[in-house]
Amino acid sequence: METKSEIKLKDVYKSYYLANGEEIPVLKGIDLDIKKGEFVVLMGESGGGKTTLLNIIGCLHPLSRGNYYLEEENIGEVRDDFTLAYIRNKKMGFIFQQFNLLNKSTALKNVSLPALYAGESKQEREKRAKELLESVGLSDRLSHKPTELSGGQQQRVAIARALVNNPEIILADEPTGALDSKSGIEIMNIFIKFKKQGKTVIMVTHTSEVAKYADRIIFLKDGKVIDRNYKLISSY
Amino acid sequence: MYWEIIKMAFESLLANKTRSLLSMLGIVIGVSTVIAVFAIGKGAESAVDEQFSGLSAKSIIIMGQMGGKSGGGAISSSKLSMEDVKVIREKAEYISIVTGIMQGNDTVSYNSNEDSYAVVGTDLDFFSISNLKLVTGRFFTDEEMKDKEQLVVLGSDVVEALYIEGEEILETKVVINNKRLEVIGYFEETGSSLGRTSKDEAVYIPYQTAESSILGDKGGSVMLTLEADEVDNITLATEEVTKILREEHNLKDSQENDFRIMDAGSMVGAAQESASLMTTVLTLVAAIVLIVSGIGIMNVMFVTVAERTKEIGIARAIGAKQGDILKQFLFESIFLSTLGGLIGIFLGQSIIPLISKFGGLLITSTVTGPVLGFTFSALVGIVFGFYPALKASRLDPVDALRSE
Repeated sequence: METKSEIKLKDVYKSYYLANGEEIPVLKGIDLDIKKGEFVVLMGESGGGKTTLLNIIGCLHPLSRGNYYLEEENIGEVRDDFTLAYIRNKKMGFIFQQFNLLNKSTALKNVSLPALYAGESKQEREKRAKELLESVGLSDRLSHKPTELSGGQQQRVAIARALVNNPEIILADEPTGALDSKSGIEIMNIFIKFKKQGKTVIMVTHTSEVAKYADRIIFLKDGKVIDRNYKLISSY
Repeated sequence: MYWEIIKMAFESLLANKTRSLLSMLGIVIGVSTVIAVFAIGKGAESAVDEQFSGLSAKSIIIMGQMGGKSGGGAISSSKLSMEDVKVIREKAEYISIVTGIMQGNDTVSYNSNEDSYAVVGTDLDFFSISNLKLVTGRFFTDEEMKDKEQLVVLGSDVVEALYIEGEEILETKVVINNKRLEVIGYFEETGSSLGRTSKDEAVYIPYQTAESSILGDKGGSVMLTLEADEVDNITLATEEVTKILREEHNLKDSQENDFRIMDAGSMVGAAQESASLMTTVLTLVAAIVLIVSGIGIMNVMFVTVAERTKEIGIARAIGAKQGDILKQFLFESIFLSTLGGLIGIFLGQSIIPLISKFGGLLITSTVTGPVLGFTFSALVGIVFGFYPALKASRLDPVDALRSE
């Protein structure tokens, strides 16, 4: 039996506009189908549209044209902030290259923040945040601020934050980009765990060392998908 | 959720203590000004009430006029005299009492104590019109007035300043303008005024004595105090007296009055109007201070939004709604302004006694001042914090995340 599509993009275009009105097309007719539980990597040259595509999938950017189906529901034309914020909060978890943690807050507070926006009680969200920090090996760093943690530890805090509302989809933009190779491997092992838990993972990366963990590599060039199942053996 | 957002707003203000305190300063000054303004305004109204408390609704006051020009023609300068009192007494139908007062300032001394007080030369009718009550002693008689006897009745503050408590006052002699005058009585404290002079800070002597040996030329023009027979007749009485004095002063139709005539109602009204005008002007000043401080808060909030753009981007990426961001920044601004308002109330209430003590002003604390000051401060926070908060909430999440 075929697995259901978690994310489906049909003929998606995205353009930016300069102050003088000039149009800069970034995505030019993207078709994409990502199944539930799949671990997909987006690769391609710089400026090829990978991060823009990830931001569109994560509802951080509206698309200029085309259709975006999330769990078979077309959300491409949704502009309502309440709905988009709900999707970002409950359906997806973001992990960024530069961690994007709040420097004035502790690891525990950083992790529990999405649960606060979801309206969870303090007790509930801190309980879950503690469990997640323990699961990424940071049980002794709960009250540490990001500036008191190493890069690898900060990224693990960011991963715990992405999971606090138990989303089905994890979106990661170069999650190992700012880490040494040892920390990078640790992070990728956590991503493997996500896949085993049945979560859909979409990750942008430049590195084949990281991309090899994925089920499938989608290769983008000049705003178009040129290969939906790219093989690393090739010269890339 | 609300509580958490309020807590986050508070934490962010605490993280920038100096900036928060400085941006609050305008509100603190504005609110304490509002409180002081209302206290001074209320005090001024009380002072007016007190000043005219001894004045009957039937009272009419006539004063001499300095020379000059007016729209209607030339005004000749005049000096009212006891002759005018006599004529009014004879001719006026609607006037029940008329009295003249000659007033000047002089040093009054008793033993080694001395100070400058108002010296009022008047006749017996003054005592029936002025609401002054004797603690002990008597007024001078017609005979004593005619004989220019050296007698004096003292106001309560004069007694308090010159005599030791419990000391026998009657039949002692005070010195005014090198003349020794016998004290024949003294008055209870009244709190009311005679023009700009407190009745308690004056000494009262027979008119003829004042004119001949005490005040002389220093006495200036006589001020006439009259009482209409009925409150309803006050307009008729005013017109009648005006006519009598114009005839007496030989004024032509083309000439303006050479005296100023005022009834009690218009005097109280004018004084109250000037007190309320002062309150209005000071309130406007306070409002301007609050608006300027609001602009300061708006400026600080814009800086805060600019500094925390990345934080806003992170919050939006992990599921914060526009409303959550708006609430957080709006709470920060309301916090700043209301906390400033509370400090302002405390400061305002603390400086009221100081203004009263060192400024010599009559000041009355009001509930309106603090209530209005606090309401204004909260409004300033909402109005001037709204736009920066709205701008923060509408930031594009991706652009915000990219900012450093």
